[in-house]
Amino acid sequence: MIEGYIVLLRAHAPLLAIAVPLAVAALTALIASPRVAWVVASFGALTTAMIAVDMAGRILLGGTQPLMQEGVGLGVDAVGAFGAAIVSLGALLAVIAAGATLKDFGKAAPFALATGLAASAAWSGVVLARDFVGLFVGAQAGWLAVAGVVALAALRDRAGLNGALRMLSAGGVSAALMLLGIGLLATSINGVELSVLATNWHGAPISAATGLALISIALAICAAIAPLHAWAPISYARGGAFAGLLIGTVASAGALCGLARLIAFGVASPEVGGGVSLALSVLGGASVLVGSAQAVGAASLRRLAAYAVAVQGGCILLGIALGSPAGFEAAFVQLFGLVASVLALIGGAAAAGGDTLGALDGLGRRAPLASVAITAGALSLMGAPLSIGFLGRWRLIEAALGVGWWWVAAVAIAASLAGVFYGGRLIERLYFRRASTAVAASRDPWRFALAPALLSAIAAVALGLQPIVLLHAAESASQLVLGRAE
Amino acid sequence: MTPALALTGMFVVPLVQAILVVLLPRPPGLRDVLHIGLSLLTAGLAVYLLNTVAHGVPVRVVFAQPLPNVDLAFSAEPLGALVAVVIAGLSVLHAAHTTGFVRATGEKAASGLMAFNALAAAAAMAVAYSSNLFTMFVAYQALALVASPLAARRDDEDAGRSVRTFLATILAPSMGLFLPAMVWTYTIAGTAEFQAGGILAGRGLDEGTANVLLVLFVVGLAMSAMPPFYQWLSATSGATYPSLVSIQALAVLPAGGLAVLKIAAFVFGSELNDAKLAAHALVAIAGVGMCIAALIALSKQDLRERLAYSCMAQALAVVMGALLALSAGLFAAALQIVATMCAATTLMMAAGTTAAVTGRRNAADYPGLGRVMPWTFAGFAVASASMIGMPPFAGAWAKVWLIIAAATPGAGLIWAAVLIGVAAVLTFAHLGPLAAAALAARAPTDAFKRPDGASILLATPVIVGAAATLWLLVLADPLASFLSPVWTPHP
Repeated sequence: MIEGYIVLLRAHAPLLAIAVPLAVAALTALIASPRVAWVVASFGALTTAMIAVDMAGRILLGGTQPLMQEGVGLGVDAVGAFGAAIVSLGALLAVIAAGATLKDFGKAAPFALATGLAASAAWSGVVLARDFVGLFVGAQAGWLAVAGVVALAALRDRAGLNGALRMLSAGGVSAALMLLGIGLLATSINGVELSVLATNWHGAPISAATGLALISIALAICAAIAPLHAWAPISYARGGAFAGLLIGTVASAGALCGLARLIAFGVASPEVGGGVSLALSVLGGASVLVGSAQAVGAASLRRLAAYAVAVQGGCILLGIALGSPAGFEAAFVQLFGLVASVLALIGGAAAAGGDTLGALDGLGRRAPLASVAITAGALSLMGAPLSIGFLGRWRLIEAALGVGWWWVAAVAIAASLAGVFYGGRLIERLYFRRASTAVAASRDPWRFALAPALLSAIAAVALGLQPIVLLHAAESASQLVLGRAE
Repeated sequence: MTPALALTGMFVVPLVQAILVVLLPRPPGLRDVLHIGLSLLTAGLAVYLLNTVAHGVPVRVVFAQPLPNVDLAFSAEPLGALVAVVIAGLSVLHAAHTTGFVRATGEKAASGLMAFNALAAAAAMAVAYSSNLFTMFVAYQALALVASPLAARRDDEDAGRSVRTFLATILAPSMGLFLPAMVWTYTIAGTAEFQAGGILAGRGLDEGTANVLLVLFVVGLAMSAMPPFYQWLSATSGATYPSLVSIQALAVLPAGGLAVLKIAAFVFGSELNDAKLAAHALVAIAGVGMCIAALIALSKQDLRERLAYSCMAQALAVVMGALLALSAGLFAAALQIVATMCAATTLMMAAGTTAAVTGRRNAADYPGLGRVMPWTFAGFAVASASMIGMPPFAGAWAKVWLIIAAATPGAGLIWAAVLIGVAAVLTFAHLGPLAAAALAARAPTDAFKRPDGASILLATPVIVGAAATLWLLVLADPLASFLSPVWTPHP
C-alpha cells in the first residue's frame, strides 16, 4: 500500500514541489518560536528538495517522458525539472543557513522563513508553468515574497527598506513588461500555452518576437542581469544573509531557468531565432562586462555576490543565446555553478560573522572552514580548474567555438579574468592579511550556518572533479527541450 | 611496488609531508626528520619512475574525468620524468637547507614554510608528469596557489602587494590566454592528450591559427617569465631564501619553462614550422628579455633581486630553445632547465646560508666571505660558472646546444645565437666578479653573526648541489639518448 502511495506521490511530483513548501510555509508562519519554525521550515524545504530532485532524476537520468501535465497549469519538461531541482535545493540550503541569522528578524523570524518557502514554491511554479499565466503568477508571487524577506531585514537595518522598495519598483516594471509581452504573444500565437510558442509564429512574427523580448527583459530584471540590476546590490547588501541567499539561489536561478525555457522555443523558430539569439547575446555580454567591472570595485562581500551573479547570469544568457544543445548544456552547468558560488560566498560570510571586505582580513586563521567555503566560491567564480565554474566556462567556450561565435568565447574569458581579480582579492584578504583588533575580537556566530556553505563548496569542487551526472542531466535537459521545440 | 603506485605516491607523499610538518611542529627535530625523510622518499619514487621510463614501461594514472574525453591524468615520459627527478632530488637538499635556515634565523611559522615548499615541489612535479593540456593547466594553477604563501613570506610589510602581483601576473594570463588556447586546441585536435610529434601536427592548421595559438600558449604561461608577464618574479624577490629557492629555482620558474617546452614538443611538434612568424617574434622577445634581465641583475645590489633577474635570464633561454622548432633546440631547452635548476638552487642556498650566518644580503658585502665560508662559496662559484655557461660546467652544454640550434641552417637565427652569447657575457658580469671577490678578497674581521658559523645543514646542501651541477657535465650524451623519444614522433 505504501508503495502505491509513493507511486501516486511521484506521479504528482510537480504539484507537490509547489504545494508542499506552500503548506509548510503556512504552518511555519503560525509557529511562535523561531527555532521551532526553523526546524519545521528546514524539514519542509528538505521534503520539497527530495521531491524535486527525484522528479529531475526520473526525467533527466531515468528517461521518463517529460511533459507531465497537471490540472492547475503545470507542465513539466526537462528544463523545468532541472530548474525545480536547483531552486528547491537552493531554498533548502538557504533555509538551513538562515538558522544563523534568525535573530536579525526577531519575532518575525517564522514569517521570514515562511516567506522564503513561499518564494521557493513560486519560483518552482515559474519553471514548471505550462502557460504564460502560470509564468506570470509565479514570477510575481516569487518576487514579492523575496522582496518581503528583504523588507523584514529592516527590523535590524533600516536600509533594508530601501532594498525592498527598489525591488518593488523593479518588480513593477518587470510585471508591466511581462503582461505587455504576454498580451502581444497571446494574440500573435493564438494561445497562452508555452508549447505552441515554437510552432505558431507564422501569423505575426514581429509582434510575437516583441512579446518574447518583453517577457525576456522582465525575467532578466528578476535574474539581476546587468544593466537591469539596479535593485540588486542594495538588496543583497542590506537585506541580510537570508535575503541574499534567497535572491541568488531561488529568484535568480528560477528566473534564469524560466528564461531558458522561453528562449528554447524562441530560438527554434526560423522567423525570429536569429534575432532572439543576437539580442540575448548582447544582453549577456553586457551583463558580463558591466557585472565584472562592478565586482572588481565592490566594497562588500554581498555586493560582490550581486555583481558576480550578474556575471554568471550573463554567461548563462550567452550559452542560451548560442541556441545549440552544447550552449544550453553550458548554461545549465553554469546555473548550478552560480547557485553553489552564491551559497559558498554569502553563507561563508554569514557564518564568519562579517560582510565588509575588511571583515575578511585574516579570516583564514579565525574561521578556517568558513574561509574554505568562501575560497571555493571565489575559485568557482574565477573559473579555476576542478571547480564547477571552470566546467561551465569550458563548455561555454567550447560551444561558442563550435558555432563560430568567437566573441562569446572572448567575453567568457573576460569573465574569468575579472574573476581572477575579485576572487583573488578575497583569497588575499582571507589568508594574507591580519585582522584588525576589533574584527578579531568579534564573537563567533552559530556554526551550523556553515553547513550549507561547506556543502556548496564541496559540491563546487566535487562536481568539478567528477561532473558526469551533472553533465548528463544538463545534456538531457538541453537536448530534450531543444528537440521538443523543434 | 607498481609504477602507477609510485606515480600516485609522487603527489601523496608531499601532501602527507605537508600535513605532518604542520601537525607536528614540536619537537623541531621530529618535524625536520619528517620533512627531510619524506622528501627523500619522494626522490626515491622519482628515481624509480625514471628507471621505469628508461626501460620503456608506460605509466599512466587517471585521477578523475572532469570533462568528457579529458582526464585529470599523469604519465611518466622521458622529459617529465627527468625534470621530476631533478626537482625531487633538489627538494631533498632544499629540505635539509630549510631546516638549517629556520634554526639559524629563528624563522617564524617554520612548519608552514616547509609545508608549502613541499606542496610547491609536488605541484611542479605535477606539471612535469601531466599527461595532457588540461592536467597541466590544473597543476599550473595549483602551483600558483600553493606558491603564493611563499611569496608572502618576507620581512617587510609588502606581503599583500607581493601576493597580489604574484597571483595576478600568473593567473590572469593563464585564464585569459592559456585557457582559450587550450580549449581551441581541443576543438581542433579533438584531444588534449600530449603526444610526441605534436597533437596539432597533421591537422591541416592554417598559419594564422598556428601563430595565434603559439602566442596564446607561450605568453599565457607567465611562469616562464616571458615578457610582458614577468613582474611576479621581481615582486617576490623580497621573500626569504627558502621561499625564493622554491619560487625561482626549484618549482615555479622551472615549471613555467617546462610547460612551454611540453607545449612546443607535445602540442605543436612539427606544426611549429607553420607558426614561424610568432615563434621568431617570441624568440626575439625572449632573447632581448634575457639580455635586459641580465643587465638589470647587474644593477641590483640586493642578492635576492640580482638572482631573481639572473634566473629570469636563464628561464628565457629555455623558451628560446623550445621555440626553435628543432630537436637540438628542444634538447638544449631540456638541458637548460636541468642545469639551471641545479645551479640556481645551489646559488640561492649559498646566498641563504650567507644571509643566515652573516646577515649580509648585498653584493657589496660579499668580498672576502669565501675565506671564512670556503665550502659555501666554492659551491657558489661552481653554480655561478654554470649559470654563466662557462665550460666545462653543466650550463655550458645547454648554452652550446642552444647556440648551435639557433645558428644551424634549419633555424637560421644567427641573431638569436648572438643574443644568447651577449646574455652569457652579462651573466658573467653580474655573477663572475661577485664569486671571484668573495673567494679572493681579504676576509672581513666581523663576518659571522653567529659565532659557530654555518651549520652542517646549511653548508652540505650547497656542496651537494654544486656537485650535482658538476655531475651533469658528464651526462649530456646519456640525456640526449634518454630524451630522444620526446622529439621523435610515434610511428
